[in-house]
Amino acid sequence: MKKLSIFSLALFFFIAGAQPLLAAVRSWELDKAHTNFYFTVDHIYSKIRGHFNEYSGEIKFDPKNLAESKFSFKIDTASVDTNVAKRDKHLQSADFFDTGKYPQMTFESTKITDVGNGLYEVLGKFTVKGVEYQLLLPLTLAGIKDHPAAKGKEVIGFNGMVTIDRLAYKVGDGKLFDLGVVGKDVEILVSIEALADK
Amino acid sequence: MTVNNASDNTGKTMKQRVSRFFLIGFAVVGIACTLTIPFVYESQTLWYKVGVDKTFLRAGQLLGLLALISLIVQIFFGSRGKVLEETFGVAALMAWHRANGILLCCLVSLHIALVLVPEGIANLPIGVKHWPEMVGGVLFLVIFSQVISSFFRQQLGFIYKQWRMVHRALGYLALCLAAVHVLFVADSFAQGVPRIALLVMLVTVFALIAVIKASILIRKIKDRR
Repeated sequence: MKKLSIFSLALFFFIAGAQPLLAAVRSWELDKAHTNFYFTVDHIYSKIRGHFNEYSGEIKFDPKNLAESKFSFKIDTASVDTNVAKRDKHLQSADFFDTGKYPQMTFESTKITDVGNGLYEVLGKFTVKGVEYQLLLPLTLAGIKDHPAAKGKEVIGFNGMVTIDRLAYKVGDGKLFDLGVVGKDVEILVSIEALADK
Repeated sequence: MTVNNASDNTGKTMKQRVSRFFLIGFAVVGIACTLTIPFVYESQTLWYKVGVDKTFLRAGQLLGLLALISLIVQIFFGSRGKVLEETFGVAALMAWHRANGILLCCLVSLHIALVLVPEGIANLPIGVKHWPEMVGGVLFLVIFSQVISSFFRQQLGFIYKQWRMVHRALGYLALCLAAVHVLFVADSFAQGVPRIALLVMLVTVFALIAVIKASILIRKIKDRR
């Protein structure tokens, strides 16, 4: 009986001790209605905007524990949407994303650095068309607060913009760029809202 | 009397020749004009394709347009208007109807293959936002089922009268689906001459079919009396 009490007590202290460690990095669930990965690319003179309708992600973030914090996203390339069905189909073809062979683009953070003023440099592995690249994604923490519309929830927000050379990622072989039709620099806007229980 | 018969036959033959000349000439001019569309009114999809992909896509568009003409001709062969019957004969019309059915199926199959290859076979246009392409897919199934059910009607155990009724209805449905598919799938037909020409042609075809059907009905009523 005494042995059992000592074991119970030890178990209690072990769980209680582990609790702050587990709670240290909070998991946030993407609010998919208010999150997206937008892009802008030049077309001769105009700017074409698009986004992805299907994606998933995982955010573990605590400003006080960046070592344990993590961002990971999976984007379905077939869900590319530029508001013109035929253009979307072309973007899905081997000329661009080749969605049949490479259905997903992924980003997984490896290091998060606080550079001040709410700006975090998120370094990660960005996998496009099966090839892994290093990408530095600057994300600005917009804030953390009680969700104004959902009781018992907190909301966190991030916004970030990065410009990449799509040809460096083999998204296109350059023929449309050489023709002066589609630009090679793609401006990416990452806008995130994620929720967590209080 | 013999002289009169001979002159009647000569007149009939002359009339047939003139009719043939105009009908075949009209078809040739129609085909030629239609085939200029992918060149004169190039679709934007073609702008962004180069090399073999561009050739395939253009060839696919040309075959699609030929398939549309083949479908229209097929309906006229099948409806057997008085002018066509007198000009070419019922046996020839029916033989052409059968042969054209196979040709139509081949044209549609090649059209699909050549249009899809440049975008990738694994990248099929499926989903609500690609509804005009999906209509084309349904059209292919209708045409394919029409050809199969016609050639293997007896083996499939279809009763002739019922099969003919369904065959006719599906034939008209195919033309409607083709019209929707062409008008909405290709931006060449989004406005201007091709759109107006196609709409005028469709209205004319349906009007002619209505006239042919009405005259057949009148003929039947007269025969009964």
